[in-house]
Amino acid sequence: MTALALPRPAGGLPRLSLRVFLAALAAILLLLWTGVPLLMAVLWSLVDPDKPWSYPDFLPPSLSLAQWQYVFTYSSIGRAVATSFTIAPLATLLAFVLSLPTAYALGRYRFAGKETLKLLILLPIVMPGMVIALFLSRAFDMLGLSQSLFGLVLGHTLLGMPFMLRILATAFEAIPQDLIDAARNLGAGWPALVRRVLVPMVLPGLFAGAIFTFIASLEEFNLTFVIGTPTFETIPTVLFGYLGYHFVRTNAAVVSIILMVPSIVLLFIAERYLKTEYLSSAFGKL
Amino acid sequence: MRARLAIVLLVLPGAGFIFLFLAVALTITALQSVGVLGFGREPGFTWEFWAALFDRQFLDSFLFSAKVGTGSAFGTLLLAYPLALFLRRRRAGGRFIGSVVKIPLFVPALVAAFLILNAMAFHGVINGVLLGLGLIGQPLLMMNDKFGWGVLAIQVWKKLPFQLLILASVLATIRTDIEDAARNLGAGPWQVLRHIILPLSMPGILIAVVLVFIMTFGDFAITRIAGPIYPTSLAVLMHTKALTLSEWNLAACIGMVIMVASLAFVGVYARTARLLQGTAP
Repeated sequence: MTALALPRPAGGLPRLSLRVFLAALAAILLLLWTGVPLLMAVLWSLVDPDKPWSYPDFLPPSLSLAQWQYVFTYSSIGRAVATSFTIAPLATLLAFVLSLPTAYALGRYRFAGKETLKLLILLPIVMPGMVIALFLSRAFDMLGLSQSLFGLVLGHTLLGMPFMLRILATAFEAIPQDLIDAARNLGAGWPALVRRVLVPMVLPGLFAGAIFTFIASLEEFNLTFVIGTPTFETIPTVLFGYLGYHFVRTNAAVVSIILMVPSIVLLFIAERYLKTEYLSSAFGKL
Repeated sequence: MRARLAIVLLVLPGAGFIFLFLAVALTITALQSVGVLGFGREPGFTWEFWAALFDRQFLDSFLFSAKVGTGSAFGTLLLAYPLALFLRRRRAGGRFIGSVVKIPLFVPALVAAFLILNAMAFHGVINGVLLGLGLIGQPLLMMNDKFGWGVLAIQVWKKLPFQLLILASVLATIRTDIEDAARNLGAGPWQVLRHIILPLSMPGILIAVVLVFIMTFGDFAITRIAGPIYPTSLAVLMHTKALTLSEWNLAACIGMVIMVASLAFVGVYARTARLLQGTAP
C-alpha cells in the first residue's frame, strides 16, 4: 500500500483535500436544500399562538401543540383523513384486480405492439391532470358519478393503475422460465405452480405496486378537486385551501405534515426492502 | 388464433380501463371544442369557439405556461446534470448525498409547494437570512410575483431528484474505459465531458427535459398557489373558464391546446432523439 502511495505527484495531497472539501460542501448545501424547508414546516406547525414568531427571531420563541389542536378541532381535516384512507385502499384493490391479468400478459407473453402498449399505459400520469379531470367530470356528471365515493375510487384507480401495471409486469417478467419449466417437469399442476412459484416470486412486486398506487391516490388532487369537492374533501384538497392567496401558514404546516408522513414512510419501506428496478419502472423509464 | 384471443382477453381489463376513461375524456374535450357537445347551448358544429379563443389573455397564459415549462425543465437540468456527474464517481459520502437529494421525490407536490413558499415567504427563512446578512434592505416578494419565480422554485425543488434518477441511470451506462482511453490519449477533463460524456448522455438529458416540461406545462395547482394573479397558466385559465364562467366550449379549446402542445413537444423530442442516434459514432 505504502509503496503504491509513494509516487504520488507533487500537490496530490492538497488536491485530495480540495475534493473532500468540495464533497463536504455539496453535502452541506444539499442538506440545507432539502432539510431547511422540512424543518421550517415542522417548526411552523408548532408555533405558539400566544407568542408569535416573526423577524428577527431566528427560532420560534416557544413551541406548543395548539396549532395541531386548532386544525383538528375547527377544520374538516379529520373527515378528510378518513376519506383519503378509504379511497386509497379501495383504488389500490381495484387497480390490482384489473391489472393482474394485463400485467401477466405484459410480463410473460410476447405479442405484437407490446412495447407500444407499455408506453401508452403511462398516459394517465403523463397527460395534463386538469384536462382529464375537467372533461372526465362531464361524463361523470352524466352518469351520476360526480360527488360520489364510487366515482372518486374509479378516478383514483385510473391514475394509480400505471404504477400497478408497470411494476407487476416487471415482477412477472423477472420470473425465470426455467423455474416454471422445472416446476412443471417435476409434476406441478397450475394450482401448485401458482401457489409455490408465481405468488412468492411476484409478491414483492405486488407490494411495491400497491404502495405506489396507494400513494398516488393519497396525493391525487386535480380529479378530486373537480369531481369530489365540496361533498368529499381529501387531505390534498384541504391543504390546497390553506395555500395560495389565503396562505394560512400554521394550518398549512400541520396539514402538510399529515399528508407527507405516510408518503415518506411508505416510500422509505418500498425503497428499503424492494429492488430498485421497481422504482425505475414506476417512474416510467421510457 | 386462440392464443391471440387469450392475450387480448388478458390485456383487456387493465389497459381497457385506462383507454376507456382517457378516450371518453379526450372525445368530450374534442367535441366540446367544436360545439358538437354543448351544455347549456344548442349543440351544433362550429369553429366560433376556436375563433374566439385567441385573445390577449389566452396568449399571455400560453406564454406563461411555456415559460414555466421550459424554465422548470432547463432550470432543473442546470442543477441535476452537474450533480449527477458529481455522484457518478464513488466517493466518500456519495450514498448519503444520494439519499438526501432524493427526499423531495417522496414529498407530495402540494406539500412541496408549501415547503418552498414557507421558505420564500415575506417572513420566510430566505428573506430572514438575507436581511440578517445585510444583503437586502427589506424583504423580497417571491411568491405570487409577476414573473413566476415562486412557481419555478417549487418545480425545480420537486423535479430535481426525478431528473437526477433519469440522468444517473443514463450516466451509469457509459463505460468508464471509454473515458480512461480518452484521458490516456491526452484529453483533459473538460474535453472528456464535452466530447464523450455529454453526447453519450444526450438521450437521458432529452427525456429528463421533455418529461419535466410536460408535467409543468399543464400544471394547475402549483401555479394557482404560487403564481401571479395575471397571467395564469393555461390549466388555471381553462379551469376558470369552465367552472367559474361556465364557458365549457372555450375551456375545451384550451384543453386541446394543452394536449396538442405537450404532444408536439414529445414529437420534437422523438425527432431529435432519432437525429442524435443517426449521428452517434
